[in-house]
Amino acid sequence: MSFKYPVVMPKMSMTMETGELLLFHVKVGDQVKSGDVLFEVMTDKIDMEVEAPADGVIETLVGNPGDVIEIGKPVLIMLTETEVMAFDFGGDSPAPPAPTPPPVAPAPVVAAPVVQPVAPTPPPVAPVVQAVVVQAPVAPVVVAPIIVNTSVKAVPKARVEAANRGIDLRTVHPTGPDRTITFSDVNSAQIDPAILKRQAANKALIAKGIEMTRGIAQASFNRRANATFDHAQLISAWAKVLRARPDLAAHEHVGVALIIESKYGSALPVFKDPDLVNIEELRGLVASTSDAAKNGKVPIAMLSGGTTTIFDLTTYSMSSATPLLFPNQVTSLTIGYDSQSTKNISLTIDLNFCDFYDGALLLDALIACL
Amino acid sequence: MLTMAEAVREAMSIAFDERPEVFLLGEDVGIYGGAFGVSGDMYHRYGSERVLDTPIAELGIVGAAVGAALSGMRPIVEIQFSDFTAQAMDQIANQAAKIHFMLGGALHVPMVLRTPQGSGTGAAAQHSQNLEPWFASVPGLKVVVPSNPADAKGLLLASIDDPNPVIFLEHKLLYKIPGRDPVPEGSERIPLGVAKVVREGKDLTIVATGIMVNKSYEVCEKLAAEGISVTLIDPRTISPLDMQPVYESVEKTGRLMVVQEGPAHAGFINEVIAQMAGSSSFGSLIAPIKRLAGMNIPIPYAPQLEKAAVPQIEDIEAAAREIVKNWR
Repeated sequence: MSFKYPVVMPKMSMTMETGELLLFHVKVGDQVKSGDVLFEVMTDKIDMEVEAPADGVIETLVGNPGDVIEIGKPVLIMLTETEVMAFDFGGDSPAPPAPTPPPVAPAPVVAAPVVQPVAPTPPPVAPVVQAVVVQAPVAPVVVAPIIVNTSVKAVPKARVEAANRGIDLRTVHPTGPDRTITFSDVNSAQIDPAILKRQAANKALIAKGIEMTRGIAQASFNRRANATFDHAQLISAWAKVLRARPDLAAHEHVGVALIIESKYGSALPVFKDPDLVNIEELRGLVASTSDAAKNGKVPIAMLSGGTTTIFDLTTYSMSSATPLLFPNQVTSLTIGYDSQSTKNISLTIDLNFCDFYDGALLLDALIACL
Repeated sequence: MLTMAEAVREAMSIAFDERPEVFLLGEDVGIYGGAFGVSGDMYHRYGSERVLDTPIAELGIVGAAVGAALSGMRPIVEIQFSDFTAQAMDQIANQAAKIHFMLGGALHVPMVLRTPQGSGTGAAAQHSQNLEPWFASVPGLKVVVPSNPADAKGLLLASIDDPNPVIFLEHKLLYKIPGRDPVPEGSERIPLGVAKVVREGKDLTIVATGIMVNKSYEVCEKLAAEGISVTLIDPRTISPLDMQPVYESVEKTGRLMVVQEGPAHAGFINEVIAQMAGSSSFGSLIAPIKRLAGMNIPIPYAPQLEKAAVPQIEDIEAAAREIVKNWR
């Protein structure tokens, strides 16, 4: 049995709200394999190719080249046999339309020291849910992979310069022939000061003999842990571990984003400096934020400032996944199902800023903390 | 100012005077003075024992030279057109190039094989080839490609000194042309395996061989007037190949263009690209490496097609402009 699966405009940066569809690489009726390039989009920062998440057949092209499409909205619909992402999207048996998320309450959802006051007059359609993820009406919702163009074309010296300055070539606008990044493109690229700071800290790593020349190297580690911890404990422990490694932090604070799935989509509330809060207080905040997110509400103040992300896959009976890291984040944790008494913790790290040894130490420290 | 033909004759004459074991053999090199007039009056000056007219039998000519070299002589062979070396290839590639190694170094073959090459004379496909890669791909041969009279003289003297077989490829169109620099008097050698930086610039590095050095030089002059400065490098010997100046230049300019007359496919100049791509200077490139070479066709007889088959000054100029403009 095949399912309709919409391939949506992905969210590529914290500021991205829409993307322009540049061109399709497929037409209706095409057979595609997982990983085939489906279409190219241009955002305010990045041009990229979006790949097929699974094998299937192209059913409908929703957008037209040149269209500006909101993140999370379908660009094309494919039919796939791959059940893990099965849900009906419209079609013959229309699913109940996803209710528009209600605007953010004028008051903080939960009173907590880390939650800053929300703007008293929120915009009419407030971005209460950060649509990193497919806006799917029916569960189970699978975290949409954040797909970036991994085959950036750049001249050799542009690569050297980008590596030296810690510039992710995916973020550089190409002006050369065949959309190739030239040396001067990199030379004139603006760098996130946070990245620069981290890069400076990273010099110590280079001194250790670690030489990273690629902009997008990441690695994942798996460990088994006792399943006794809850989200609050995990968030607190992970923040504590990261706080001990200021060289990996791009920001003044530690912001732990927790992905919470709901029928409205996925929300990514950020808990700022959660390790500095009393655990009971944090537990309350996590619980109330999770409840609110499941109803489509997340305070705007909690929608930014993430420096790391936690994905909890246990509710899907999945054991692990390797997400691509969010821009400006060096780490992400995935909690997966392992057994009745144990959970599987996967850590994904950006190898530009830490090495395998660091990854292992981080994971060790987290498990010790739990 | 000497022409290339005169400079080559002068080098041979100096070698004749220096060493009694040097002699010249080939078709029409004696009384006729050489198909392109290179040996000129040497027959009359040195006599028929040192300037030998041979039958039309290239395999025999080179075989005789290899044998003479093995027995202590220093033969200079002239093959009328480089295309005819095909007839002599067994002696060149299987004998001359290998004997020293197959006899454990006991003997060597101090032979120089001079031969005119290249297109532009309307002599069609069997008399116009550029066969640099044939010889450059045979270990045991040294291959020299002079681009001007002064280099031809110094390089030929060094080639005659060299204990290895040397293939000396002279471009027909250069024979009658004086060089930019006067040919030094005297017997100074130019060592084999040392490239020449013809001119220095900061925007582009051009590596060219033989006649393409001259064409590229004109382009450099023209572009310099517009503020585009180009480094031009003439390897002079393509085996062994001196890449160091190329690396040093590309580290400054970031752009590399290579130009050869011979067909692009599997051509000699591709070796320059390959070595650059594998070097630590690769990271200095701010532009894809540009190759200009002959088309992958036998040289046509029709003059306009013959011209179109190999890079011309306009082609080099356009490519140089484009690479500098597009890649910054």
